[in-house]
Amino acid sequence: MPIELLVQALLNGFALALVYVLVALGLTLIFSILGIINFAHGEFYMLGGYATYFGVAVFGLHYVPTLLLAIGAVGLAGVVAERLIFRHLRGKTLNAFIVSLGLLWVLQSGAQLTFGVLDKPVPSAFSGIIRAGRVIISVERFVVVLAAVGLIAVLYGFLQWSRVGRAMRAVAQDPDGAALQGVNIEFTSMLGFAVGCALAGAAGGLLAPVFAVSPPMGALPVVKAFIIIIVGGMGSLPGAVLGGLLLGTVEGIGSLFFSSAAVNVLGFLMVIAVLLVRPRGLFGAA
Amino acid sequence: MKGQRCHGWVLMLAAVLALGTAAPAAAAEKTLEIGVLGPLSGGAASYGVELLRGAEMRSDEINKAGGLKVGGDVYKIKLIAYDHKASAADAATAANKLVFQDKVKYIIGNAVGATCNAVQTVTEPQKVMFAFVCWGTNNLGPDKPHSFRSMLSQWEAAEPFYRWIKEKRPTIKKVAVISPNDTSGLDTNTAVVKAVKGLALDLVSEETYERGTKDFYPILTKILAKKPDLLDVAAAPPAEAGLILKQAHELGFRGAKGWTAGVNPVTLVGIAGVEAAEGVWSPVNINVRSDFVDPKVRKFGDEYEKRYKEVPGVIAVANYGAFDVFTKAMQEAGSVETDKVLAALTSRPYDTVWGRLVIGGKETYRIDRQFLYPMVISEIRGGKIVDIEQVLPAALKALTK
Repeated sequence: MPIELLVQALLNGFALALVYVLVALGLTLIFSILGIINFAHGEFYMLGGYATYFGVAVFGLHYVPTLLLAIGAVGLAGVVAERLIFRHLRGKTLNAFIVSLGLLWVLQSGAQLTFGVLDKPVPSAFSGIIRAGRVIISVERFVVVLAAVGLIAVLYGFLQWSRVGRAMRAVAQDPDGAALQGVNIEFTSMLGFAVGCALAGAAGGLLAPVFAVSPPMGALPVVKAFIIIIVGGMGSLPGAVLGGLLLGTVEGIGSLFFSSAAVNVLGFLMVIAVLLVRPRGLFGAA
Repeated sequence: MKGQRCHGWVLMLAAVLALGTAAPAAAAEKTLEIGVLGPLSGGAASYGVELLRGAEMRSDEINKAGGLKVGGDVYKIKLIAYDHKASAADAATAANKLVFQDKVKYIIGNAVGATCNAVQTVTEPQKVMFAFVCWGTNNLGPDKPHSFRSMLSQWEAAEPFYRWIKEKRPTIKKVAVISPNDTSGLDTNTAVVKAVKGLALDLVSEETYERGTKDFYPILTKILAKKPDLLDVAAAPPAEAGLILKQAHELGFRGAKGWTAGVNPVTLVGIAGVEAAEGVWSPVNINVRSDFVDPKVRKFGDEYEKRYKEVPGVIAVANYGAFDVFTKAMQEAGSVETDKVLAALTSRPYDTVWGRLVIGGKETYRIDRQFLYPMVISEIRGGKIVDIEQVLPAALKALTK
């Protein structure tokens, strides 16, 4: 097999996996802080896509400010969801699970009724391709990869060094201990939920020009995100990044040898293997 | 007195007879419920939306004209539509609801091959008439006498399409084909492969994908490594075909592009962009503004665009035509009983939105249940659909000889 084909396959796998890492990071952040597995997380990805569609395709705004606005708008939607729904379900895993499933259907059906069922294209702000020998990546995807890496780095810095970020980590580790140290749990939880949703919205906004937008568009990324965080370890940010890179490798290389349906199965096989050998995931806490 | 009484009776009798002659007993108005199925959401939603709109257009025309006069009755048509999301399981559930709960005797409209198979497990035993645009080969057959395909399938289109390609573009030697990995897609790939090999072209890649796929880079990386001269996005629905061509363009593909089972290129251009969609040939699509098509199609296109603010694709036209043919057959049979309508349906050609339409296909399916009409090969140029040539499916040629 030519080495260029292998490199191209890996590049294909990594490019998308990095965006799915953003979705996974949001999911794992919300789980760490609120103890909630938000099955409606893909719908916040969808909202990011539609916000970008309206900004660029309907109102004719430039892509970059539209993306920033979309991230902010989805973060705000996260604040609303947390204040109205999830705040009251903190720690109630089963209740939160049912409610998030309900929210998934409400948001998806609402999108169908509001935006219609057909795919809507989002004009791309970037054209052309980057070629290295026989390995090719479109400028559009290259920008998406750069933006995803940038956002992951910003999130890491925010959680590592900012006061609010450290408060979030404290709440994730021990909410009672954090409260005793003066951390406002309710505000921190709300902010954590908003940041998690904003990350999903960013992923949706980044991929909107690449794939077009449609109401069920959040289903696939959220499945990939679950694979990533189960492999990487629930609640672990470095684990999510590693899980994403592993998924990208497995799917990228797998696509050279198997059909697309079989490649989708590979991710789940990886989950089974990791759960059998290391049930808490690669970086998950015991 | 006796004479006067007799005279009065005669007058009354005459009056009754006169009234009877001048205004026959008013026909009883009834409601004819007709089912419409289709993917109204998900990746193939454009199919379902067009099916429903085609049905709405024809049924509204009939209702506005006073209803469908069949025998001594006048029927108002009421549509009952369900979304099956291109899932066979959901299609079976929807068909059961239509047949056993809503008690419909006609389902006019469905798309995506596997869902047609699922629906037929309900419609055939119950003798419910079923018209669809699914491309599954086994959707038609002697064991399914109540099933009709209302638009040309890959079996009618692929061979003349590739014959045309070979004649007009002799430099095209290597062909790659990609379709969804369900009944419609696999059967379309089979028909394309048969046509390609039959015409001594070189099939370099035959790939399938899961419906709903957004990222085609992995599959395209494999396909483009084989350096095809022509990439046929055979049975891909418009949005997915658009994504395939957009991503193939990004990966540097600049060869010829075909879309054997292509419908609604307007959506494809929207998703792929003008540059990546340039030069796509399609044999089964219809351009409602074309000089090649019947004036009735142009009229239909104008009214459709006025109503839905979109240009109709071939599926909308096909389901409009199917409603037309079935309702005409009901009138011809003088009944809405399915046995009588079935006998009337295949008895003669119909003057429809397609022009003259013949129900044939026995050579391929062992039963005449395929709608046959001339097809037009079109090309996308600068984002617009340009018709190039009208060709006849072999089955239609044989029937009209």
